[in-house]
Amino acid sequence: MNAIILSALLGVVMMFSGIVIKSKHAIVSTALVCLVILLLGNLCDTYGCFSISMDLHEMLAFNKFGQFFNTIAITATLLYVLLSGKDIVKVGNYPAEYFALIFFVLCGVSILSAFNNLLMMFLGIEILSIPLYILTGSDKKNLKSNEASLKYFLMGAFSTGLMLMGIALLYGATGSFGIEAPVARQLSNGVQQRAPILEVIGLIFVFVSLLFKVSAAPFHFWTPDVYDGAPSVFTSFMATIVKAAGFIAFIHLFEGRADEMESIWKMLLVLTIVATLLIGNVTAVFQQSVKRMLAYSSIAQAGFMLFALYSRNDMAKEGILLYAVAYSIATVGIFAILIKMKDYTFDGYNGLAKTQPLLAAANTVFLLSLAGIPLTAGFFAKYWMLASVMKAGGSSAIWLIVIAVIFAAVSVYYYFRVIQAMYFKEGNAETTEEISQGFKIGLLIMSAIIIILGVFPDALLQWFYF
Amino acid sequence: MNITHILFWFLSALALVSAMMVVVSKNPIHSILWLILVFFAISGHYILLNAQFLAIVNLIVYAGAIMVLFLFVVMLMNLNKETEQQKNVWMKLTGVIAGGCFLVSTCNVIFNAQSVSRELAGKTALMKEGSIGLIGTLGKALFSNYVIPFEISSVLFLSAMVGAVVIGKKD
Repeated sequence: MNAIILSALLGVVMMFSGIVIKSKHAIVSTALVCLVILLLGNLCDTYGCFSISMDLHEMLAFNKFGQFFNTIAITATLLYVLLSGKDIVKVGNYPAEYFALIFFVLCGVSILSAFNNLLMMFLGIEILSIPLYILTGSDKKNLKSNEASLKYFLMGAFSTGLMLMGIALLYGATGSFGIEAPVARQLSNGVQQRAPILEVIGLIFVFVSLLFKVSAAPFHFWTPDVYDGAPSVFTSFMATIVKAAGFIAFIHLFEGRADEMESIWKMLLVLTIVATLLIGNVTAVFQQSVKRMLAYSSIAQAGFMLFALYSRNDMAKEGILLYAVAYSIATVGIFAILIKMKDYTFDGYNGLAKTQPLLAAANTVFLLSLAGIPLTAGFFAKYWMLASVMKAGGSSAIWLIVIAVIFAAVSVYYYFRVIQAMYFKEGNAETTEEISQGFKIGLLIMSAIIIILGVFPDALLQWFYF
Repeated sequence: MNITHILFWFLSALALVSAMMVVVSKNPIHSILWLILVFFAISGHYILLNAQFLAIVNLIVYAGAIMVLFLFVVMLMNLNKETEQQKNVWMKLTGVIAGGCFLVSTCNVIFNAQSVSRELAGKTALMKEGSIGLIGTLGKALFSNYVIPFEISSVLFLSAMVGAVVIGKKD
């Protein structure tokens, strides 16, 4: 409960700080202080020192997994603001409001990690999405940003409509908004009765709308345009923390409900995973702009994260946490560097290793992690996912793993194109501004996290079980 | 035949006739005006079912806000004979299928309800009994079981308001 209440309150604080604080630099510092407070509040909650409690009426159910995910999301946001805070305030005239919206998104994230009721899930998803529609359109003078915002809003509203329809059908079939499958259906001999068709259709609707939110194929069409059109700083936030939160909600809901759909579930999910991997990876190969390539690569990474839904065991839970950390940190880092570049195409990176050796080195670490090369966190994230599928078994498991490995190999191509441009091509990559010392230190810290997790992935997971 | 019976049959006929007119009218403005009448008739039904609050909300939200929005949109689009889109056979067919599915499922619900509870059969109104549509019941549910979603939705509205200011304010 701490995280939900604090993030909402701190959002209000950030909102009003715009009246008092005029300097943009001071607003970034305020946001950082607020994020640290939020992080401490959430840690207190996790380890039971201080937590606001109230009568929850079974609307929310807090567990270690969700709180640990909150910690990850808040820490990733902290790193993100540390690295790109200066670029956030540069987007438009309302720096304080942008941070307020980011805090509201975090409120949505902490609801999604703890919901115990479809109503709360809906509220969480909406609190997560609405600030994003606005952040996407925050660059008001840029036509592409406006278009992306409108597109995102319309598509998002449509998928929300589908979700509400699904929830209504579920309510009609079971008479409750709870996320657990109804107990009454269990027969005396322990065999489950079949779920009524209304409930299955409702679950499929919710499934589809959640696929939309995490941008999995075939509901990914908004992703490249929105990620490309939005100001790069906010794309970075959307593609990482928000997406990971979507997956947490997804897993949380379907952990108990997936079995009700019986064979339809496996079929739908396997088709989605294969389509997502195929479309994400193959389209990314043809991109000329690094920003657009990252948008497609985020679709491809979503395909990998969907494996956690296939296996639904303890290893998958560990895996999704590891994946959230590895993917979020690497992507935030790559975007932070991308924002500093003058030219967003692959050619814009030509010769970066000569002009900015440290930026190029850090970028290489992040890209290697996304590609899943050993000794980086990305390798273990992918390993955990595939291992969990193997553990879960099933007739299609082995084929899924083969397909996943093939597409991981395809992804190496487009990630390495950036590395190739930076190190092996002649050119004079230009940055828009002088790279500050603090930015470099931030990049070093993030690369260090990636490599440490790549060598000792247990460091994170043991902390989870601590 | 008492007054509630007469009201019930009158409102039902009104609702059905105006609903037909919504579809039949050539002029979209007339369609909308007929639709407003449908909402009024439905609100009347709510009152007959002892759901005053629902009736008022239906009037305010649907007949008030949404229909005005509809009217504005239709007037802004400036529809006339030339811009009328061509309706092909496939569109008509899909319309018939979609409408037919809805009809079948609605009939199913009605006949099921009658077979489940005999006392519902033949009833037209529920005066002075049942409290599901009263504002007191809603308020109690909202501030006891559903207090957390109720409070948290304020965050949603706040973020939407911040967004409206950020997007709408002149730089």
